[in-house]
Amino acid sequence: MLLPLLLAVEFGESDADLVRRLQRRDPRAMAELYDRYGRLVYALILRVVRDGGIAEDLVQETFLRVWNRVQGFDADRGGLAPWLLAVARNRAIDYLRSAAGRMRNAVELPETEHPALFADMEKELLNSDRVRRVREALEKLSQNHRAVIELAYFEGLSQAEMAERMGEPLGTVKTWVRTALKSLRDELGTAATA
Amino acid sequence: MNCDDLRDHYELYTLGIAEDPELSEIRAHLERACSTCVPGVRDARELIALIGATAPAAEPPARLRKRVLAAVGGQPASIWNWSPVWAAVAAGALIAAVVFNIRAHRAFAELAQAGAELTQVQAESAAQNTELARLNQAFAILNQPDVKQVVFGGGTPQPPRGRVFLDPKRGVLLLASNLPPAPSGKIYEMWVIPKAGKPVPAGLFQSAADGTAIHVLAGSVDVAGTAAVAVTVEVAAGAQVPNLPPVFAAAL
Repeated sequence: MLLPLLLAVEFGESDADLVRRLQRRDPRAMAELYDRYGRLVYALILRVVRDGGIAEDLVQETFLRVWNRVQGFDADRGGLAPWLLAVARNRAIDYLRSAAGRMRNAVELPETEHPALFADMEKELLNSDRVRRVREALEKLSQNHRAVIELAYFEGLSQAEMAERMGEPLGTVKTWVRTALKSLRDELGTAATA
Repeated sequence: MNCDDLRDHYELYTLGIAEDPELSEIRAHLERACSTCVPGVRDARELIALIGATAPAAEPPARLRKRVLAAVGGQPASIWNWSPVWAAVAAGALIAAVVFNIRAHRAFAELAQAGAELTQVQAESAAQNTELARLNQAFAILNQPDVKQVVFGGGTPQPPRGRVFLDPKRGVLLLASNLPPAPSGKIYEMWVIPKAGKPVPAGLFQSAADGTAIHVLAGSVDVAGTAAVAVTVEVAAGAQVPNLPPVFAAAL
């Protein structure tokens, strides 16, 4: 377990350096950012929109938005990867909503991706060990609980939209969502202290 | 509402599916930098980010890297970046070369050559500045929370597709892909089509070799009075009325 920790520390430090270079408008820093996180961003967006061509457009838009907003990011305290994923998810969900003519959800997407919101996050957050544990925790959920998490995260559905899609009462869906999120939280907390 | 009541809603807020009254309460607690809710929402963001990282692995095509880097003015395979600083350095080098060659009795020919190259460098720099200004206009439109967005060409494999963003104060942004460069002597022209009246010319543009295009019409636009945004192929000088059926149209 020492290797992921060392890698995480190394990643955290170089992320801060990378952000500083992006803030100095160094285009080569953008190349490094893409090389480091391009696959992760592409995989997430492709999972949401399920179309390679559209995913490419949205990946480009994601990196452009990060380039444009990086001045507001705290290089020493910010979690770069979580911010990048939030921007990527928002672009993809925004696309799905526009394509389907759906209403926006209660929380406007830009409210969830301001760079200042990603301060003081764990530097090693997205190391492979953590991601594996989340994947396992998701697999432990019941089918309905996993479905609502996926519909909320990867399709951006509101709880009312999920209820309609699943043909279940809204109250039932709300209970599933909260129970599923609590299970994930508890499972990760337990795993972290095990 | 106290923080204990909100605890189970932090992830819902982060996912964008929290509802009132908890939504308003969380916003209020965050605004006043609540010492319980701020770290609580941060932890929720971490959990939600981890869910995003569980998406099945996928390999992006190699061309995507070039697209991303070109969009921010970077050169993917070269350390040379024709920013104004580099242009100035290049210009200095050229002038130095000219001085040396004057001493070698080749002043006039070299001076002419240096002047031509300097002009080229300045043209490249000016083109890059123009491109940067265009991207800034695009960002300004994209960043508006109330921008109206229309998708076109979705679900069809080959024809052009993309999105149009309309901001009443800043103008119209078109992002397209699968749009091959217009034939020699021709150019793409965007039109804003009002609900009542004739199509209004909205600028000329050419797509890149990879079929992508970004075009901005800067300035105010009557979004409520607009029926569609369309693109036609026109002669290189452009036209005041569309002469051919649209290559695509995004209906509002």
